[in-house]
Amino acid sequence: MKISINLLPPELITKELKKANFYKIQLAGIVIILTMVFLASLSVALRILQSRSILSIQARVTEARQKVSDLKDTQAAIMILKSRLAVVDKYWGESTNQTLMYKLMGKIIPEDITVNTITIDQKGDVSLTALVSDTLSLDNFIEKLTDKDSNEGRVSQVSIENLNRSRDGLYRVGIIIKSK
Amino acid sequence: MKKKDLIEFYSIHKLKIFPLIVALSSLFLSIFVIYPQVVKLISNQEAIGSLNKKSQLLETKVIALQSYDIEELSRKLGIILESLPPDKDYGNILGLLQRLTVNSGFSANLISFTKGTGDGAGVSNYGVQMSVKGFRDNFQTLLDSLENSSRLVRINKIEVSSRTNSPTLESSLGIEALYEGMPKNVGEVDSSLPEFSQKDEELIKELAELEQAILATSSSSAVQSPRGKSNPFE
Repeated sequence: MKISINLLPPELITKELKKANFYKIQLAGIVIILTMVFLASLSVALRILQSRSILSIQARVTEARQKVSDLKDTQAAIMILKSRLAVVDKYWGESTNQTLMYKLMGKIIPEDITVNTITIDQKGDVSLTALVSDTLSLDNFIEKLTDKDSNEGRVSQVSIENLNRSRDGLYRVGIIIKSK
Repeated sequence: MKKKDLIEFYSIHKLKIFPLIVALSSLFLSIFVIYPQVVKLISNQEAIGSLNKKSQLLETKVIALQSYDIEELSRKLGIILESLPPDKDYGNILGLLQRLTVNSGFSANLISFTKGTGDGAGVSNYGVQMSVKGFRDNFQTLLDSLENSSRLVRINKIEVSSRTNSPTLESSLGIEALYEGMPKNVGEVDSSLPEFSQKDEELIKELAELEQAILATSSSSAVQSPRGKSNPFE
């Protein structure tokens, strides 16, 4: 059995304990300060490395920009070609209202009606003069003009401007067809 | 206060003063060094990301631009500029209309130019009035050949007159010839490059074929086209 007896005076014991406590605090403080200094140095070092990296990427970007500038004629040709292709694609082969109305007239005018004049204006309205041998053919024509299936939904209004009967029994008719 | 007093004061209160100094130093380092550097690091990382993206975009653009065959591109541009010229091309349209009317079995009596109407979609136009005479049965062919001509034109007025029982007709056509000025801005260095679709390639091919077809028939048309007397003084 081991017996230990502290023979030191109590004041000295208190002083030694305080000293030991202070050493611990001092050690912790130094560790904290060193850690902070290390972190600060690390962040500064990383920033320096990052700056170098930025400079190298910026140099790459500048070089690529220069290469693109050298090829600006090719780029201009491509841009012009693409923009014009869009316009050509929009208009090319697209029938205007006027030609569609002319085709429609060709489809629905009966063979026994002789057309003298057809005028299709910029709105697509049709003005037509024709010779008709009998009123039945005229009725048939007007019916086709006003029927949605026959007129393909392109006609909004049909009006007979004049209707004359000549000595030879032929009817001369003037019709205005308004397009939609 | 003397140095001796200071040492004495520190030795009495060192248990409080030392941690306070450590805390203040740490706080100073955190606020004035570590925090600003970390914030800058994060923002720079974002900047690096965007710079990398831009660099990749530009490098891809350079490769794409270098991959184009300049001669082929010029040929395509030539075709499209024939179809939609940058300016009023009176001479070209005059020749084309003459060729198309003759090819459709018509003869052009009069071709005159008028002021165009604004399209509003960036495309300009000028008007062409054309009086033609020919067979009634061929008129639809003439309209179709005008509409499907490689040079962009749009028919905006049709006047047709014919005598009773006559196989021929006379017509006055109002035509808009479209053109588009060259753009002032043809793409920034950083802008992305447009890609040509299969549809674009097919359109160019069709236009080229049409132009070739018109050119091929032009020699025979020239013979058929009424050009007047070879010697006007005879």
